[in-house]
Amino acid sequence: MSGAIQVRGLSRTFHTTVRRPGFAGALRSLVAPERVAKHAVSDITFDVDSGELLALLGPNGAGKSTTIKMLTGILTPSSGEARVAGVVPYQDRERNARNIGAVFGQRTQLWWDLPVRESFTILRDIYEVPKAEHSARLAEFDDLLALSSFWDTRVRHLSLGQRVRCDLAAALLHDPPVVFLDEPTIGMDVVVKEQVREFLRYQVEQRGRTVLLTTHDMTEVERLAERVVLVNHGRLVLDGTLDEIRRKFGSTWQVRATLTDPHTEVVALPGIAVVRREGARVVFGPDGSAAPTVHQALKSVIERYEVTDIALDEADLEDVMRAAYIQAEAV
Amino acid sequence: MSLKALRIVWRITLLNIRSSMEYRTEFLLNIAIGAIWQVSVIVFATVLLSRFTGMGGWDSSEVLLIPAIRMLAHGLMVLLLGRVHFIGRQIQEGKIDVYLLRPMPVHRQVQLAYFPTNAIGDLTVATGLMAGALGRSQLDWTAGRISYLVAAVVGGMLLEAALFTAVACAALRFPAADYWSGWLEELLGTFGSYPLNVLPRAVGGLLTYGLPLAFVAYFPAAVLTGHGHDTGIPYWLAAASPLLGVLAYLGSRLLWRWSLGKYTGVNG
Amino acid sequence: MATVPAWRAARVTPLGELHAPPRMTAVLLRLTVQVVLVASLWHGLYSRTGSTAGLDEGQAVTYAVLAVLASRIRQLDQYTGRDSVIQHMHYGTIVYWYLRPLPPQRYYALRAFGEQLYGFAWALAGYTVCLAAGVVDPPESAAVAGVFAVSLLLGQLVLYYVMLILDQLCFFTIRNNSAMLILIFAQNLLSGVYAPLWFFPDWFIRLSGFLPFQATLSVPLSIYIGRIGLADAAAQLAVQAGWVVVLALFTRWVWRQAARRVISQGG
Repeated sequence: MSGAIQVRGLSRTFHTTVRRPGFAGALRSLVAPERVAKHAVSDITFDVDSGELLALLGPNGAGKSTTIKMLTGILTPSSGEARVAGVVPYQDRERNARNIGAVFGQRTQLWWDLPVRESFTILRDIYEVPKAEHSARLAEFDDLLALSSFWDTRVRHLSLGQRVRCDLAAALLHDPPVVFLDEPTIGMDVVVKEQVREFLRYQVEQRGRTVLLTTHDMTEVERLAERVVLVNHGRLVLDGTLDEIRRKFGSTWQVRATLTDPHTEVVALPGIAVVRREGARVVFGPDGSAAPTVHQALKSVIERYEVTDIALDEADLEDVMRAAYIQAEAV
Repeated sequence: MSLKALRIVWRITLLNIRSSMEYRTEFLLNIAIGAIWQVSVIVFATVLLSRFTGMGGWDSSEVLLIPAIRMLAHGLMVLLLGRVHFIGRQIQEGKIDVYLLRPMPVHRQVQLAYFPTNAIGDLTVATGLMAGALGRSQLDWTAGRISYLVAAVVGGMLLEAALFTAVACAALRFPAADYWSGWLEELLGTFGSYPLNVLPRAVGGLLTYGLPLAFVAYFPAAVLTGHGHDTGIPYWLAAASPLLGVLAYLGSRLLWRWSLGKYTGVNG
Repeated sequence: MATVPAWRAARVTPLGELHAPPRMTAVLLRLTVQVVLVASLWHGLYSRTGSTAGLDEGQAVTYAVLAVLASRIRQLDQYTGRDSVIQHMHYGTIVYWYLRPLPPQRYYALRAFGEQLYGFAWALAGYTVCLAAGVVDPPESAAVAGVFAVSLLLGQLVLYYVMLILDQLCFFTIRNNSAMLILIFAQNLLSGVYAPLWFFPDWFIRLSGFLPFQATLSVPLSIYIGRIGLADAAAQLAVQAGWVVVLALFTRWVWRQAARRVISQGG
């Protein structure tokens, strides 16, 4: 039973020198620098199964990028252990490199002065991908990302959306089983975002790749991820499905029902409270204890009462995450 | 520039100096670089002067006046107007777009982008060289000569600034034009310090009318040392070098304003 | 071993240049003007002097023009390609160097090799034109030409390592412009690009003998013009080779430190 990514008690501490103000302070810093430790990641444990897409979420500075850097082998952890496709990335960087593909947000790995296709060729060479395989994969990526309309353009002349699509293709050209994406869709327009999501879904579902994704775009999380890991201040706050997160932090759904008989007596159901009632119109909400999911609540209401009309307001994921981040802050 | 604007400029400059002192090793190294760089020019010039005496019919104490004027003008240019030199980077980073949003002339903001620490070293050495050149000089330094020398340094500074501003204007449209900026500096450094009549007429002409670097130091020095009649151009033109510097600079600022009006931004 | 893996990384510079014809025109123009100016300057300087510092007019002009051509071999505007170490550190893209199954030092070496080869093509073309036009003198004998070729190759290796050290510096301080400028300056002055080292005072020549810079350009060019005779050439070649070994070991060690730094800071 081995996940594609295994993380056990991973921690990383950075040491920085405090800069004291003023000339005397600068001189003191020079002679006796004061070092402070910053725990960027502390004791994180999680697994990602083969062929699973996991979203690593958290506010800015939560430790997401540091985690990804350790899993890609760029950064050595202070303690703990990680394995990616069976390889310890920071101990066997080059072997790990063949197993993974990575895109770091807006940082491009393409060669600025060359047409994109030349970059692909150089990468083919570096990863020693057979020619036929390379062409086939490129054709496949072109189908999904519509690259051929601009792949003869020099990178410096590409728009952001075009460049990130090329970077995605570049990261996957050597057919890596594991892919790391650090905010890949940042700053892209909705059409391109959708294209990229479609591409990622295809890579996970059809090609069986394992993807670890960080993003601040909750629509993306909803469209792509079954499971999320939430970190804050370098600690793991939650590891679960979107529903679990909703249940824990997003108890803000409401079910609005219009009863057939306005005189029906309405009582609270297990976990469901009556928020408001105006004649035939009743609004149900979670009662704060073991609140059911919005779907369970919907089902209970319909089973219990006769209604002519029913609608639900679900707090969107963004509200949920806001609640989660704030709550995690308070911990 | 109003008094208020001047105060702002002064305050930002002080901030720039302080921020460049934040990295003190870098700060001191920068001063050192300016100095080392110029010292090497002096070593080079003196090496050549001792090896090739009577260069172009000039006495070596007279030749020394050329690099002295040029370097002092250059140091002042770097200190006061030098930021147009590395403007390519500011353009590529999209800084111009930011400047355009602020209620201050773009050119002034370009100049206030950072403090040119290396100018301190440049100027120190240039002052030393000028002192040395004046000390060795056998000329009679009348009030008229001294005023002309001052005018020549200021004119040389403005002319050099005008050349770099013109390249900067091109860079606004084609950021790659910054490439020429490096070459321009190399040319000024290499050929600005000799009596240009050692060169063939055609080449001298190129450095007079093509790239007017002869007007920075060579012509004014020729006028001061009495070689003004055998420079290959009319005496009055050589004598008017400082004025040409002023005109060139004003022209370059008009060009700058025009180019800024055509500025379309950098993509990406 | 049939092919060097990832050899295509060597194509980056030439391809980038070929895709930017204005840049090539600029290089051609600059090279032409610089050669004409330098040649006429040295002719002019020598017009009243027969021979100085053991160099006559022909030797001095040949030296100066060859120096202009040779400095073309590795003097591209690397910033436009955004593939210099300092830019990768600035943009954070250095991480990709460590994310590939190709060691960064090999990638760097391949890139530099392509660049130097491309520059060499320019220098060779320029040399051919200058030789045909009589701007430079041909080498005195086939033996001189041969020794010069070996010395030039060694010189290019030393130059490669000097440039590498400049780039490696960027791994340790982002703000190292001044240190860079000092090194570039030392390279230009002490390799004899500005003026043949022979013109400088004795103490200066002796000082530069302890530094690697003169091995890059001054030695091969002096062999070419005959200022270093074939009898003394062997010793000079040995010194060059010595620098190659020393710098190779040193830069290897720095690569390891750089990797450690990236791995501990995360790029």
